Amino acid sequence: MKTTNRILRAGTMLATALVMTLGVATSAKADTTLTVWDWKSGDPTTAPYFEKVKTDFEAAHPGVTVKFVMQPHDQYYTLLGTAIAASQGPDVVLVHGGSQAKERIAAFSKLDDKIADIKTRVAGWDEFAGPDGSAYAVPISIQGLAVYYNKELYKKAGLDPEATPKSWAELEAICAKLKAAGTTCFALGNKEGFGADFFYSAAAANALTAEQQAAWTAGDLKWSSPEIKAIVQKWVDTQKDGWYAEGANSTAKFMDEYQSFERGENANTIGLLSDVAHWKEFDEFLEPQNVGVFVMPPVTASVNDKLRMPLAGGIGYAVTKFSPNQDLAVELAKSFTATPAMQVFFEAAGAVPSDTAVDTSKVESPSAKIVLGSLSDGAPLLHNNTSTAETEEWHRQSQMLFTGETTVDKAVARLDEVQAQAKKK
Amino acid sequence: MTQTLTAKDSKSTAKAVSRPKSGGHNAERLAYLFVLPALALVVVFRIIPLIWGLGYSFTDYDGMSAPRFVGLDNYIGIAHDPVFLDSLVNMLILLATLPIWIGLPLVLAILIHQGVPGGKLFRAVYFFPAVLSSVIVGAIFNVLLRYDGSFNLFLKAMGFSAVDWLGNSSTALFSLIAVQLWATFGMSLLIFIAGLSTVSAEMLEAAKLDGAKLLQTWWYIVIPSIRPIIEFAAVVTTIGMLTSMFGLIYVLTAGGPGTSTILPEFLIWLEQGKMNRPGYASAISMVLFLMMAGLAAIQIRIMSRNADI
Repeated sequence: MKTTNRILRAGTMLATALVMTLGVATSAKADTTLTVWDWKSGDPTTAPYFEKVKTDFEAAHPGVTVKFVMQPHDQYYTLLGTAIAASQGPDVVLVHGGSQAKERIAAFSKLDDKIADIKTRVAGWDEFAGPDGSAYAVPISIQGLAVYYNKELYKKAGLDPEATPKSWAELEAICAKLKAAGTTCFALGNKEGFGADFFYSAAAANALTAEQQAAWTAGDLKWSSPEIKAIVQKWVDTQKDGWYAEGANSTAKFMDEYQSFERGENANTIGLLSDVAHWKEFDEFLEPQNVGVFVMPPVTASVNDKLRMPLAGGIGYAVTKFSPNQDLAVELAKSFTATPAMQVFFEAAGAVPSDTAVDTSKVESPSAKIVLGSLSDGAPLLHNNTSTAETEEWHRQSQMLFTGETTVDKAVARLDEVQAQAKKK
Repeated sequence: MTQTLTAKDSKSTAKAVSRPKSGGHNAERLAYLFVLPALALVVVFRIIPLIWGLGYSFTDYDGMSAPRFVGLDNYIGIAHDPVFLDSLVNMLILLATLPIWIGLPLVLAILIHQGVPGGKLFRAVYFFPAVLSSVIVGAIFNVLLRYDGSFNLFLKAMGFSAVDWLGNSSTALFSLIAVQLWATFGMSLLIFIAGLSTVSAEMLEAAKLDGAKLLQTWWYIVIPSIRPIIEFAAVVTTIGMLTSMFGLIYVLTAGGPGTSTILPEFLIWLEQGKMNRPGYASAISMVLFLMMAGLAAIQIRIMSRNADI
């Protein structure tokens, strides 16, 4: 018994000594490590950009190490929420512009007085602004929605591949002709509801006036308003008219939908402007000369003379309030927009950079030229300004509209309820 | 001298008498010491989070701002939340399939125990999916069950129409249940095979001599003999059904279409992770905890009653 007690005592002392030794060793480490959370740094196409940022920053700040931690995209906000709740973890975090950033602003540091030197060079600040207009993250890309199409399939259906639709009626005519030729008009993946997000956001861009867009952001323009309800109705009509392949509710938008488009199984897809599911990716699969791009026409009359591409600040870096290295973390967040790094971001990943000084003149892709030419005069991206609660409910309702479990009237009524609750909160 | 000797004797006698008592105390202390790590883990990772969760369920905690006491608001909200109510209906449908979860492995276990040809191979094959993670199982069945997947290709080849197994509300939940059943019934099967080895061979022999038919033997001898095992499997399976479906839902349907495959455990994740409402998610967790505790209590009570019999 005595032997056992002695062993236990000795073990406890040894463990204590080990912990103390480790503690001393850790505290003796003088270098600072800035931890950055994202969902992109491990992507081969964006890796050169992150490497450039890291190398340049560490060279400019001796003794500082930048550590990228790539989290799975589909669980990113769950993990970030846990880090925020625990007030520990990353110093700098990547966030999507719009509601994802705005709903977490309480956890981010205000950047207003620290970004004067980059404010005019960098675009897309609105998507990362708080209710008082202050900036809470540094945008690194411009994101938006465009309809990409397969010119080869247009030709096969007897369509002019250079004549893009300017109204909903023209788009309906194109889809009817494609259907007659045995081609599915649109690739669609709505397993997570993202297909429905892209649809209403793209269709609303030129259907709402600036005042209506502002009213939507404030939660005052209801889902049951004629403008939005018309879009929801078209969501149902397009399915009934056979615009999509069967099984949209069980097809993932990222990347099953886009892979289907890249295999030439569908003529159109609503894709992104930047980073992924965009012109560069489609060019690689379909050849640049076969990829066309247009702005989705509104389901009602356009409020703009010329159709504007829906776009906004895409993704950006915020500094967590709990970071013990505030000044360094802000410097790092800003360094992501350094022009040499942004140039790499554009060239390697085809990202549309937030830095307006990046030279994009050498790009040869026809669809990229159209996308880049649309950036100066865009329309708001509606789903970016929708509360998470509404977005989740829209995902569900959009699926039930496809299965016939609900009607447009019931769906918008339910969405009105959720919108009112989100606004009340 | 005599006195000294007597005192010494008396002292050593007292020591001898008290030694077992002291040794007993030490053994008891040592026993507590051994139990302490396990107890600490349970307290730190189960009891304290449970109490915290209960506390959060009465707040509007959003993970960022300081929690604000809102009384029963979250519980009232749950009672009126159509998504939660749908998740309860889905849960009841899932629980209604419990007899299949017990019956299927039981029948197969009896067949293997009775020595069907290739029994060992079947036992290994049935158990194999149980060692796979739900994400792997989900990924496999995602390929098989998607609209243009292998299962529909087979149906079409046989002249039937394709079915959107995971994208249709009337089939999505049952598809999930079937996949989860396939993935986990091997564990119950092993439990039943172990239980069957305790059935008296003499009794089975006697039944055979008395001319009992196969089904009569199963019904009157085998099943009553392993009744406690069946009840144990029912408790474990029920708890597993309510707490182990998340991975599969996440990979195969993401809760859709609509709310057709949302179960309370998935909704907890949705509210906590996606909606930033840990307070509300905690309230749902408490409701789920109470329901599971109630179900387990009923089942354990039935088990104890039968054990008394």
